[in-house]
Amino acid sequence: MLTKIAGGDIIDPVNGRLGKGDLWISDDKIVAAPAAGAADRTIDAAGCIVMAGAIDIHSHIGGGNVNTARLLLPEQHAAHQARPATTPLSNAGWSTFQTGCLYAKMGFTTVVEPAMSPGAALHTHLELADIPIIDKATLAILGNDDFLLSMIRDDASSTMIEDYVAWTVASTRALGVKVINAGAAAAFKENVRTFSLDDVVPFYGVSSRKIVKTLQAAVDSLGVPHPLHVHCNNLGSPGSADTAAATIAAAEGLPLHLAHLQFYGYGTEGKRRFSSAAARLAELVNATPEVTIDIGQVMFGQTVTVSSDVMRQFSARGSAQPKKSVIHDGDGNGGGIVPYSYGKDFYGTMQWAIGLELFLLIDDPWRVFFTTDHPNGAPFTVYPALFELLMSREARTEMMAGLSPPAMALSTLAAIDREYTFEEIAIMTRAAPARLLGLTDRGHLGAGATADIAVYRRDQNIAKMLGQAAYVFKDGDLVVQDGEITHYRWGKALRLNPSPDKAMLRRLEDYHQQRYGLSLDWFDFPDTAIAREQPFGEVACRT
Amino acid sequence: MAVAWIGNRETLVERAAAHAAALLGSSRCPVFSLDTDIHGTRAAIALAERVGAAYDHADGAAVSREAALFTDKGAMTVAPGEARRRADVVVVVGELPQIHHQFVGELSATVPDLSTPDLSARNQREIFLIGSNEMSAPRLSNGRIATLLSCGEASLGATLAALRAQWRGRQTSRPVSNFDDFAKALEAAHFPVFLFSGDATEGLALEMLQGLVTDLNRKSRASGLHLPASENGWGSALASTWMTGFPLRTGFARGFPEFDPWRYDVARMIAAGEADLHLRISSSIVQPQKKRNRMALIALAKTQEPVAGAAVTIAIGEAGVDHQAVVYSSRTGSLRSVDARAASELPSAATVIRLVASHVSAEAALPC
Ligand SMILES: [Zn+2]
Repeated sequence: MLTKIAGGDIIDPVNGRLGKGDLWISDDKIVAAPAAGAADRTIDAAGCIVMAGAIDIHSHIGGGNVNTARLLLPEQHAAHQARPATTPLSNAGWSTFQTGCLYAKMGFTTVVEPAMSPGAALHTHLELADIPIIDKATLAILGNDDFLLSMIRDDASSTMIEDYVAWTVASTRALGVKVINAGAAAAFKENVRTFSLDDVVPFYGVSSRKIVKTLQAAVDSLGVPHPLHVHCNNLGSPGSADTAAATIAAAEGLPLHLAHLQFYGYGTEGKRRFSSAAARLAELVNATPEVTIDIGQVMFGQTVTVSSDVMRQFSARGSAQPKKSVIHDGDGNGGGIVPYSYGKDFYGTMQWAIGLELFLLIDDPWRVFFTTDHPNGAPFTVYPALFELLMSREARTEMMAGLSPPAMALSTLAAIDREYTFEEIAIMTRAAPARLLGLTDRGHLGAGATADIAVYRRDQNIAKMLGQAAYVFKDGDLVVQDGEITHYRWGKALRLNPSPDKAMLRRLEDYHQQRYGLSLDWFDFPDTAIAREQPFGEVACRT
Repeated sequence: MAVAWIGNRETLVERAAAHAAALLGSSRCPVFSLDTDIHGTRAAIALAERVGAAYDHADGAAVSREAALFTDKGAMTVAPGEARRRADVVVVVGELPQIHHQFVGELSATVPDLSTPDLSARNQREIFLIGSNEMSAPRLSNGRIATLLSCGEASLGATLAALRAQWRGRQTSRPVSNFDDFAKALEAAHFPVFLFSGDATEGLALEMLQGLVTDLNRKSRASGLHLPASENGWGSALASTWMTGFPLRTGFARGFPEFDPWRYDVARMIAAGEADLHLRISSSIVQPQKKRNRMALIALAKTQEPVAGAAVTIAIGEAGVDHQAVVYSSRTGSLRSVDARAASELPSAATVIRLVASHVSAEAALPC
């Protein structure tokens, strides 16, 4: 079927296409305007902007810890209306079904779950397979697991470490690798309560820095398109900006992605010894081209923190609101679930302002990514409001009026004039994520691209405009019309598929038999276990 | 081989499914009880939404107690693999379901290989049992016997409360047997692990146990290993949680999911005469069940004959025996794919439920 999206303002920075024009779709691909012939279907996009479907690189949408968070907080996600018949379970609060629908309505068509525990890969993929419409991907967590830490301690060759990383990525169907507070979860099991970049994991004698550098090198040399995704040490603590700065410096010319930088944007100035270090970090990011970051913006209200940084979550238990939490010592990282409410007090204001400062002070929209670290800084449903804050100085000023003056006094936010343009938004939420993840088929509107397209009706109210797309196409299928889901379709989980080394497989088989009393097949699964047609889509490694 | 019956009369699966769908369509208050794998659960929940049913595990009380620990209080837990590799002190809390006894035996036959706890005295883990002598305790290797921590006739919750109080240095009216050994073991321990289940354990005892674990974590490490009363039950609870936001004992009476562990206790709904149709899905066991009332029964079970009193019976295979399946594994603490041990023609629960659903109405296809 040939579709013409007619007369919209096209915003496609990758192909340098900006301005009024038509966009053509043939089946599931974007195509050049045909020389002759008429469209089978024409979508009137006059008064609309047309962008590629948005890509979220870091949002906790499924897997063991996310599901535990749901289980812990039944009071916080009641559904309030009967379902529409065409989209079953879509009003079930905080369900996989609702997740897919809410993302699609905003024009997001690909979302990365950034913290998959390798041991829970099957569980994670089953949840992702129940998220309708959008494509998904996962990052596999390494860096607190005994197998890797033992190899580093024993000076294993880089080839052997790469074989292990490749096996993990392949068997868990991941698109990349994440390290979360490298070594800290292992140290926490040894009763260590704080952990920094140059601290050493007891029993292994390996530093956090060494783990990060080892994984960074392995990911790079395997040709995994996405750089090592790092959740630094000391998340959330005053002075954590020093840790982030040291980690940025540790990139040393190889690509490195730092997750939710806002949570490390904290200095120790002022009488509360908690201040904004955003300007300092932004300057470092600007000066370090091999580093990319996402923000993890805080917005006010009730949420729940879901993290595989078990040491940090354990120490945050006291601030749980409501007063309950789960702390899990897993095979590698485990994790912690601590409900939390961000108030407009000094600390909440400071965090909110730091996130925005980072967004606005980092110059290159290709290297700063749009996230709230859902649900840690705020649920992803705040995205429309956050777009508005980035695109309108006036919206920021209005918001600041109701916040803590002592906090605002320690932030540069009020002095920043910058307003993101639609072109910059298209880079930050489409073009750059596709490039960062190695997804050449999306993030742009060139001929041959997957027809993931979001059409927004222009409105003075940016939040309204970007919150409810006029039309969304996924793989050429019109799935959203006037902000409402028309029907379900089932996306794929995008994955790499490096072939595992035979010797490594034998080693791992022995290891699992000996250490767990179980054969390796207890930890692996066939694609058919997902019980959907084509649950995975393969992405190529760099060669 | 016959695979479907309407009443006692053999029929085609298709016809039995259509009849089941008609019963569901005209039911005022349908209830489902599940004892099935992940995909069976997913299909059942999708059907429950469509027909406005409530669902629960076939033995819902124990699963509900375990879920309540999380929904009400939270917990500190550890993965089974970590417990095996790290626990230098193992504490069995109350009576564990038979399915977990082998794992406890394995813990008694192995030593931790991570960390460097000092096991030099005996080169084995120290094992304690909280409860009473009457309990059926897991058999340990080499004829070892776990050190009993008990308060005579006191309940498990009361024993745990006494243990916690004594650990905090408080006086208790009735001291726990062998407390000094326990205290000494904990003082020296690197990573004590408490094995618990909701099976024979009242909810308060689970909370009390978590209180003790929290106390221990003030200065050192400790955690609890959740060994579910039913692996199928816990697997269904997990799938229900991602599909609806809620664990089992969720109902769709008003078209959207509502979680109410009292109201949607399916056994209670049946006993109280609230339910008028019972869909029972059991791929692993066929329990003969006395009919208490006139409520209609649709039975999906591994059976070669019609289930007594059922309006409709459809034979299904056993997960991991007749067909490949995904199940919860208490050995890995996560979901696991299992191949068919003896593949047969018997359809999976999921397949049959989808067939029934396809006859319910002509709305959009079900998502599972
Ligand atoms: Zn995160």
